[in-house]
Amino acid sequence: MSLPSEHLSPAGHALLDRRRFLSSSSTALGSIALTNLLGLDGLLAAQANGPIIDPARPYAPRQPHFPGKAKNVVVIFCAGAVSQLETWDYKPELIKWDDKPLPGGPAVTFQGPAGNLARPQYAFRQRGQTGKWVSDMIPHLAELTDDFAFVHSLTSKSNTHGPAENFLSTGFNLDGFPSLGAWTTYALGSENQDLPSYVAIPDPRGVPQNGANNWGPGFLPAAFQGTTMSSKAPVRHLAAPGVSPSTDQAARTLLQRMNARHLEAHPGDGKLAARIASYELAARMQLSVPEISDLSTEPAHILKLYGADDTQNAEKAAFAKNCILARRLIEKGVRFVQLFNGAYASGGKLNWDGHNALKEQYDVHAPILDQPAAALIRDLKSRGLLEDTLVVWCTEFGRMPFFQKGAKGRDHNPDGFTCWMTGAGVKPGSSCGETDELGQKAVKDIHPLYDFNATILHLLGLDHERLTFEHNGVQRRLTNVEGHVIKQMLA
Amino acid sequence: MKLAALILITTSSLAAAVDFARDVRPILQQHCYSCHGEKKQKAGLRLDIKAAALKGGDKHSPDIISGKASDSPLIHFITTDDDDELMPPKGKLPASDIATLTTWINEGAPWPEGVDLAKLEDRRNHWSFKPLQVPSSPQSIDSFIDAKLAKKNLHLSPPADPISWLRRVTFDLTGLPPTPTEVSAFLQNKDHAAVIERLLKSERYGERWAQHWLDVVRYADTHGFEVNTERPNSWPYRDYVIRSFNNDTPYDRFIKEQIVGDAMGQDAATGFLVTASVLLPGQIGKDDASKRLARQDSIDEMVMNIGQTFLGLSIGCARCHDHKFDPITAKDYYAMQAFVAGVEYADRDLHTPAAEASRAEEKQLKSRLAEIDKELAHFVPMAKSGAERPMINPRENSDRFTPVKTQRLRFTIKTTTNLEPCIDELEVFNTRGENVALASTGTKRKSSGDIGVAERHELRFLTDGRYGNSRSWLSNTLGKGWVELEFPQEQQVERVVWSRDRDGKLTDRLATDYQIEISDAAGQWHTVADASDRQKFDPKNKKLAKPTLKGLTPAENKRARPLFEEKSRTEKQIAQAVNLQKVFAGTFRTPDDIHLLNRGDPEQPKETVTPAVLSALGNVTLPKESAEQDRRRALADWIASPQNTLTARVMVNRIWQGHFGTGLVQTPSDFGRMGMKPTHSELLDYLAAEFIRSGWSVKHMHRLILISETYGQSSQTQDLPQASASPANGNEIVNHKSKIINEGPLLDSDVRYLWRFPSRRLEAESIRDSILAVSGRLNLQMYGRGFNLFDQRGGLSGFDPIETFTPENQRRMIYSHKVRREPETVFGAFDCPDAGQSTARRIESTTPIQALNLFNSRFTLEQSKAFATRVQHEAGTDLNKQITLAYQLSLSRPPTATELTDTTPLVQSHGLTALCRALFNSNEFLFVP
Repeated sequence: MSLPSEHLSPAGHALLDRRRFLSSSSTALGSIALTNLLGLDGLLAAQANGPIIDPARPYAPRQPHFPGKAKNVVVIFCAGAVSQLETWDYKPELIKWDDKPLPGGPAVTFQGPAGNLARPQYAFRQRGQTGKWVSDMIPHLAELTDDFAFVHSLTSKSNTHGPAENFLSTGFNLDGFPSLGAWTTYALGSENQDLPSYVAIPDPRGVPQNGANNWGPGFLPAAFQGTTMSSKAPVRHLAAPGVSPSTDQAARTLLQRMNARHLEAHPGDGKLAARIASYELAARMQLSVPEISDLSTEPAHILKLYGADDTQNAEKAAFAKNCILARRLIEKGVRFVQLFNGAYASGGKLNWDGHNALKEQYDVHAPILDQPAAALIRDLKSRGLLEDTLVVWCTEFGRMPFFQKGAKGRDHNPDGFTCWMTGAGVKPGSSCGETDELGQKAVKDIHPLYDFNATILHLLGLDHERLTFEHNGVQRRLTNVEGHVIKQMLA
Repeated sequence: MKLAALILITTSSLAAAVDFARDVRPILQQHCYSCHGEKKQKAGLRLDIKAAALKGGDKHSPDIISGKASDSPLIHFITTDDDDELMPPKGKLPASDIATLTTWINEGAPWPEGVDLAKLEDRRNHWSFKPLQVPSSPQSIDSFIDAKLAKKNLHLSPPADPISWLRRVTFDLTGLPPTPTEVSAFLQNKDHAAVIERLLKSERYGERWAQHWLDVVRYADTHGFEVNTERPNSWPYRDYVIRSFNNDTPYDRFIKEQIVGDAMGQDAATGFLVTASVLLPGQIGKDDASKRLARQDSIDEMVMNIGQTFLGLSIGCARCHDHKFDPITAKDYYAMQAFVAGVEYADRDLHTPAAEASRAEEKQLKSRLAEIDKELAHFVPMAKSGAERPMINPRENSDRFTPVKTQRLRFTIKTTTNLEPCIDELEVFNTRGENVALASTGTKRKSSGDIGVAERHELRFLTDGRYGNSRSWLSNTLGKGWVELEFPQEQQVERVVWSRDRDGKLTDRLATDYQIEISDAAGQWHTVADASDRQKFDPKNKKLAKPTLKGLTPAENKRARPLFEEKSRTEKQIAQAVNLQKVFAGTFRTPDDIHLLNRGDPEQPKETVTPAVLSALGNVTLPKESAEQDRRRALADWIASPQNTLTARVMVNRIWQGHFGTGLVQTPSDFGRMGMKPTHSELLDYLAAEFIRSGWSVKHMHRLILISETYGQSSQTQDLPQASASPANGNEIVNHKSKIINEGPLLDSDVRYLWRFPSRRLEAESIRDSILAVSGRLNLQMYGRGFNLFDQRGGLSGFDPIETFTPENQRRMIYSHKVRREPETVFGAFDCPDAGQSTARRIESTTPIQALNLFNSRFTLEQSKAFATRVQHEAGTDLNKQITLAYQLSLSRPPTATELTDTTPLVQSHGLTALCRALFNSNEFLFVP
């Protein structure tokens, strides 16, 4: 196949140059003229202040609002709601109160009647220089906490997985709003034109609740939708099945001729040139995507570091490969990678939704997450990538300090839970916000998830109040009309 | 403490009374207005206008408590030591300023009238809230467009060539390209009006225009949110919309039917009210706060839908606070909620003659099915016969064994798919074919232990003769459990039938390893059947669960086969009959009491609100005791009135947008003050008046628009002259009226003033449908249950696209089963709405993923093959003729001589399919010219 790999073909260049000239008349220059016209007519009631997207180069890198510390983001999204009490939010009081009723506690929570308080199901110990108390459930991640910035006082607007995962990913409970990754790539484009700018990597066990809404474009242009790929499932439609390379090239040649002639007959139509350019970009993706997903070039010590060679735990090995894939994507300048850990509702079997048998299930889930995720952070750091990459660990809400009646698990709790960040621009070894002494409710420096998302955008150099898109009469934002940057998390 | 100290200072140091204009306003001006003034009102607080300032912001109103500085939030925020709360955020005010403000408030916060420098705008003073301005002299679309262009020194482009016009109008009205026959007919007679009439009569028209409507109302066939399960009966609403467009149902009637169609013999129409995502009861928290929030969210969706769709207003913004820009108060918002507060998201029985007939048919079919099952029971492969039996399935499992006499039977579960096992019904048949397990026969039951949920999971439901999860038995042990039956007398039993959920809804908690034992007279247990000879359990491979003829003797096989076939046929017929009886169009009950909610929080209810239309736009109000249906009727009447200044304008703008890609108002669902003003306000009003005058005929509006010169002009952009590369020269050109070149590209690159026809890419559905039409595979079967794009009809565990193509899934895409939020694997990337939020106007984006999908997908490859086969069949063996026909079918024109010459060698060596694949990807095919 004679596909352009490094650069556009000369024909593509000619078209793009033409396109740039035209776009200078249809966007920059042209929009000045248009603005004048419309301005004179008083038509500019709604003034968009989003980025200007060149349709021929939707993934072109764009300037942030102000210089950001982070260029790229990896979000490790733990679906099903990880218990803060078994992980990062140490509550020794719970040990004292184990198996006692919570005086004045709620009779009924999300799934039904509440039972007695329950001690943390794992032992906690102090870690690193900061002496942060972290549980033994996640020994590998625990070793890294000197680099983390924790927020222990997050709250969600919903106690139901679907709306709450929407809220975490899109800032709205409802379906159909743009995801954090879509907003980010809409604002900033990507540093690599040969790969999708936003990649969502589903867990080997299945997609999270609300599936594609977690990486959807909502009402933003489809260009900013997350592309799904994983170590198990490659990007779709990278090659035409059953078509020989020469026949494939023949069809490509025919198409190029048709489009070139058509463009000649329709000068000045930027959309036509943009579509021609998109085929050239696609041809480059056809080469670079299989390359990036081919982990066979990774040395044995890297596979070992991540646990990708674990023959005893297939799910851990598969998640580890996803983590390696995430690093490779970041290495190549992909703007936003969303790495899912945990699948859909399954009585806690496939994700972190520990209603009935929390300890038993977390004993299974934790090893899948722990070593691979810790290795990802170590690997990024050792390659110097953590300098401008932000790593975010998040989950949609927390869990109750008491067990559910007749069960050995905790119910949904949106009123106080923990997430953390590490890497570019993050204050290492810091913790902010507190829950009450039993870990039920945030009581100090309470931060709705809006604040967490505003902070991520801030680290990317984006003002969450200025990153907007007009939809049905509202200048929409990731943070709706809320959100304050959590300054304590910033370096 | 601190405050008290300050007050002491202030009273001593400020002898004269504080004067608002002299002392207070400058402080506010300097430190507060930038966030709480005319341009911004953060937290809803505005301090430059008396009324607004004294009312206060969203969170702490009132912020100024006259005479009580220490209680006033304003003072709190300027004095606090908490950096996160401090105002202004940049740093504390000088102590003297704080003192001034404190004293001023303590002195009663005197704020003289008439001193404010800013004025509160009258938010009702907005073009779309005013009556239509209809010009008295006769006008036409072209005269309005011409007049505006002339003002800009622009002019219409020459008419489009006939083929471009025909392709344009055919795509516009039907979403499909014209056929070669249609092309040649038009080239002969050039009868534009006749083409328009032909297309408006075509049923393809409704299929195309219904899609625009379904985008706006975010129609889907699943419930959305986390479980996103199938909403199996929503399609009658989709069909209703298609029919309404085809019948040219007057738009005022169309509105009323969608709001209160249950009173107008149009049950399916009220599907409109419940198109949104909704949490199913099982997904809502058991605590009351969760229930209240879920209900509020679901009513909110209805109000938003009504506001955006019909009125072009973002009413939903007033859920938490008064609308920031439009004259819609939070009270208005809740008063709108009260109109629909009795609507529930649910299926409703259809009472059409067709639905009644289906009910009768279903009954008949079911009784026949029971007979078939009874006969087939004799042909289930015997357990322990050596033949491999079908895999266990959640719906129904039959275990046949050599007849044996017993009084007791035990069913033991050893493993489940997950959690504690659940069985909805256990049946034991004797050799006479009677179910002797039934509790009504006196059979007793016991179990290893139960999880009791009253009226849902109880042991007695195991043998109550009623199917489904809602009457089932649930063991109390993870993965295990047993039940034992004792018949009143000894029975000769030969078959056990059991299921997780005979209704087929639930598949969890399924026993995957089990055994059935009977007790002999001595009390010894003997296994008569178990899972060991069944196909290995694999939930992904549903085929394994299908009944099988394996293990039968040839004679049995011969008798069983026709029964099998009849059973499968009958089951399909029953499913079809059931589908015709219900529609997901809401149920109606006594309305909830609606309260004004503080900050939209259901836990902070304020006063009760009764139904009323937006107070700035009308005065329809209803008493609290109004009946449910009367409420919706009153709302519908108000919206669908010619006096409503928004309704007709909003719809004609949508129609205009459907033809030109952009409306006269660029924000089709926002006619409020934040929306764009119309580019041609007189034209918009003329069209709206004409719409009402024509009896709200949508087709009349199409005719007016499509026959115009504005619509018929060329989409070509003339090449830019060299000089226009800089804006300065551009201005120069504008001033030289003598120049012949069209300055449109420079002056109006977005073609808002329509100096040329704005070409655009086909939408996702049109691309798929057009490819099928050209390949000859398009199945024009209309209406009914959607075909599957994925291996699932909703649910949790990911969606694999179906990539084998049958007549059923080669129907038009509007008939696909729309899984909310799940983009179709090839065409989803073409900005196809995901039915999460309303899409009033599709974005047209261009991405490499689109190119990969359209160039490499199995869909394109298969259709390219079909297209090639069709061409070879129709054009014969001559290669030139084949290439020519391929161009004619896809591009409505023959290839030029050059095209023919340079295409031929490649087709010769690589086949016609390569050309077909290229044509389907070409810009000429994919753009409305």
